[in-house]
Amino acid sequence: MSLWVDQYRPRTLDDLHYHKELSTRLKSLASSGDFPHMLFYGPSGAGKKTRISCTLRQLFGPGVEKLKIDQRVFLSPSKRKLEINLVQSNYHVEITPSEAGNFDRVVIQELLKEIAQTQQVDLNAKQRFKVVIINEADSLSRDAQAALRRTMEKYMSNMRIILCANSTSRLIAPIKSRCLLIRVAAPSDDDMCDVLQYVAKRVGFDLPPDAADKVVEDSSGNMRKALLILEALKMQSPNLNGPLSIAKPDWEIYCHKVADLIISEQSPSRVMEVRGKMYELLSHCIPPTVILKTVAERVVDKVDESLKADIMHWAAFYELRMRNGNKKIYHLEAWVVKVMSLYKHFFYGIDMSDFD
Amino acid sequence: MAPRLSQSSQKQDRGYKSKPKTVKLGTPLISTQVQKYDPLTAFSLSQSGGDELAHGGMQKSPKGKGKERDVGYLSVSSPDTDDRLWAELPVHVRKVEDVRRWFHEAFEGGPLGKLRRYRRILVLTGQAGTAKTTTVRVLGREMNFNILEWGNSGSDDNVNDTSYDSYESAFTKFETFFNRATNCRNLLPLVEMSGATSSQQSQKAQNANSRHIVLLEDLPNILHSSTQARFHATLRCLVDRPPSDPPVPVVIIISDSRPRGEAYDEHGVYSRGRNGDGEGVIDIRTVIPRDLLGGPYVTNIGFNPIAPTLLRRALQTLLSTHSSNKDGQPSKEVLDVVVESANGDIRNAIMALQFAYTIGSRDGKSRKRKKGGNIPTSMLESITRREQSLVLFHLLGKVLYNKRKGDPLSSSTSAKDAQREKMQELLMEDPPSLPFWLKEHERRASKVDVDMLYGNSPIDSSLLSLYIHQNYTQFVDGLDECDRIVECLSWVDSSGGEVWYQANPYRFHILSMGTLHALPSPVTRRNQKFIKPQFFEYLENEKEAWDSVHDTRNWLAHSANKSLDNSWRTCSWSGMEVALELGGVLKALERCHGTSRPPRTHQRFSRMEFQSEQLTSQQLTEDDVDIEEASSQMNDMYSGHARGNEEISGQWLESDEIEEF
Repeated sequence: MSLWVDQYRPRTLDDLHYHKELSTRLKSLASSGDFPHMLFYGPSGAGKKTRISCTLRQLFGPGVEKLKIDQRVFLSPSKRKLEINLVQSNYHVEITPSEAGNFDRVVIQELLKEIAQTQQVDLNAKQRFKVVIINEADSLSRDAQAALRRTMEKYMSNMRIILCANSTSRLIAPIKSRCLLIRVAAPSDDDMCDVLQYVAKRVGFDLPPDAADKVVEDSSGNMRKALLILEALKMQSPNLNGPLSIAKPDWEIYCHKVADLIISEQSPSRVMEVRGKMYELLSHCIPPTVILKTVAERVVDKVDESLKADIMHWAAFYELRMRNGNKKIYHLEAWVVKVMSLYKHFFYGIDMSDFD
Repeated sequence: MAPRLSQSSQKQDRGYKSKPKTVKLGTPLISTQVQKYDPLTAFSLSQSGGDELAHGGMQKSPKGKGKERDVGYLSVSSPDTDDRLWAELPVHVRKVEDVRRWFHEAFEGGPLGKLRRYRRILVLTGQAGTAKTTTVRVLGREMNFNILEWGNSGSDDNVNDTSYDSYESAFTKFETFFNRATNCRNLLPLVEMSGATSSQQSQKAQNANSRHIVLLEDLPNILHSSTQARFHATLRCLVDRPPSDPPVPVVIIISDSRPRGEAYDEHGVYSRGRNGDGEGVIDIRTVIPRDLLGGPYVTNIGFNPIAPTLLRRALQTLLSTHSSNKDGQPSKEVLDVVVESANGDIRNAIMALQFAYTIGSRDGKSRKRKKGGNIPTSMLESITRREQSLVLFHLLGKVLYNKRKGDPLSSSTSAKDAQREKMQELLMEDPPSLPFWLKEHERRASKVDVDMLYGNSPIDSSLLSLYIHQNYTQFVDGLDECDRIVECLSWVDSSGGEVWYQANPYRFHILSMGTLHALPSPVTRRNQKFIKPQFFEYLENEKEAWDSVHDTRNWLAHSANKSLDNSWRTCSWSGMEVALELGGVLKALERCHGTSRPPRTHQRFSRMEFQSEQLTSQQLTEDDVDIEEASSQMNDMYSGHARGNEEISGQWLESDEIEEF
């Protein structure tokens, strides 16, 4: 079996359902013969990777779909072995450098050098260059980004780089200026409904518009999430009629409950309790940034207007600390304590003014 | 290796010929050798013994490492070993039963006779001194199989040898040993039958005893990546072969060690699942290749630290069998201290007991009447490592109780101490008064000398921060103090870079001074208990969860490849996307019993139950602060893991049978 997300993913630029204008631009760019380095960015589930692969197909033809998965071994400076999975065709290579953890610089350098120094040998190839796709480019370390910047210029003749990131804010300016920035916005609700209906038709069932609306509403602009929800729904209740209850993922509910804990009581012992929950979330592979964001959004929903800005400010502040530091739990907890004391002081202030 | 093998088999031959019925070679060798010893000379003794054995290449039964002394010690006292050893083996009955069942299935094939194929590798994990090896040996006696064991020591002689052409790498030797040991067992009974002395009976005994297991405890250097790769290949190769007849199961024994909370520990988590060689730690994940670990051929049984009751019983049995005269024996209190301090490590306990015993008997002569062989507490402390752990205790106490000049003395201080405190306080200078806009930072002079703390600290700043983080909430009065401490923790953690040379060299000072500054003064005494950081436990869970994320991702790509004609775009799932978004679908898949099921382990990241608070944290007691020892939770988790594996293998077995019938 294969997930619907994978199975019914559009293959060509023409197949794409939304952002038609972007598709035509990409198409003309691919046929212009002067293809730049590119940086696709946008929220997750907007269709960045799908667009990248469609562009590749436009560039190289169907041959680019013949993929093989290679396991390459790189040596870190301390001679530690790093095994990285590469997805490649004759025309492109795709890597996720965050798999290499701290040693992404080594991987990037080695790989790019190797690709850049080999010319395209296939005479039938439509383009003279190879393409390197770097997923999750915003998790590249600064070292790796600096390494990338030089290579991008040096090997322009036979290599192009396509970066894929959620936001450009974590990329250094030199890289941004060397790329053509392409923003892939999240699809609108109507777009998503269309896609859902299309998939339902391909699978062969009727999707009631109510259900489609419900799914769209719940997936907040994340196409992948919407399709996954639809598939899970379909598996649970095959006729999709009547009232649907879309279960949020466990971790999200958990985060919300943590937020409720923070608001309901502010004391050192509650800090301990929240810490336990945070640990639990971390040990379920939920990235700390996501935890912070989800909990903060929930807290902000529930508190007084005047506190919202402060809470978000501190969330941003500790998120940065988290990126610089090692032990995520300290920063999560620092934020929790900060919010608690803000909240407490807020009520304390009100009480005092009432008293006067 | 080849000549050695033949040599050792010759040795066996001789053994068989002279005594056809006793096949346990080596045991008498050790047990006669070790009549009585004290810990100091015992070690040198053991080394020579070890060399002797190691030159035999394949070692039989107790190998001559220092640790095997306990076995020797135990078996010295009881020549007719079997029953006694069971009484003395301080392992939980169920655990032993697990291992025994595994061996039974490995040799006999379980109720249906099919399990033999899946009981190939048994991994015993657990912290040091939890009788893993002993259990196997005792079972070996009970179930009547021989143990072939690999020892690395033999290769050392060749290192400086100039004859490179005849040089065989240590690993090649291991490989040869391993392959022969697991494959070529059929030969030995043949040799035996051709022997002149073989009668019907002895042959029968021989057949029963032609069962062997291979025990790997002294592993090749797994931390070296290419050696590790070859080791994994060897294991895979073993599993791919159908079991030989009679089957030769492989037992691998791994003593756990725990990460120390240094900066790189957490980094390792994310890259760990993908790079098998992760950190410089030998644990089950580095020893066993990942695909095998999740597969049906490897069973993992985790040993917990030995329970104090079991340990005490074992020690008492040991004492009563070892010495007949009551006078020289350590008193009950000594036994208590030994048991308590051993922390579930029986090897340690026996060592301490032995030490206590030798002193006790010597002292016993001079003041038998007066003290009844009691040992001074200072001596006991040196036996039981208390001193070292106390330093950590003092360190935490100094930082977290935040004593300042002018604190009221506690009621328990003696007059003399109070006097001394007063004198000290007189000598201390008051800090200059702060201007009014900084008044909130004004504190009385601290009695804590941070430089001194730094000098005496047994732990580094990163571990200290974990301890402070775990414990600070008990010492504060309100949220503001919490805020200041955790802010300090957060700042210290994020100052400096990813590598050690970018780290802030003043972290320890900033951390302890920041904490001191933030804590209320005086700290309210409310019977605070120091608690071990939960960090490691969760870190371990996180590693497991990442592993299962990768398993799930592989499953995704794999199942898509099977159904579609190409793998277009299916590998684009990142680990994070799997962890965050796939939960619902996985749950639904589980429920609908489709043809292809996701790997069961996915629940490690997709399933989260929100429970209202229960604090199950372990209290830090004076005698178990030992930093490097694994917590018992970790072991529990491993055993849980093993159970999961069994389930899975059971499932696969069913489908297998359908194929065969």
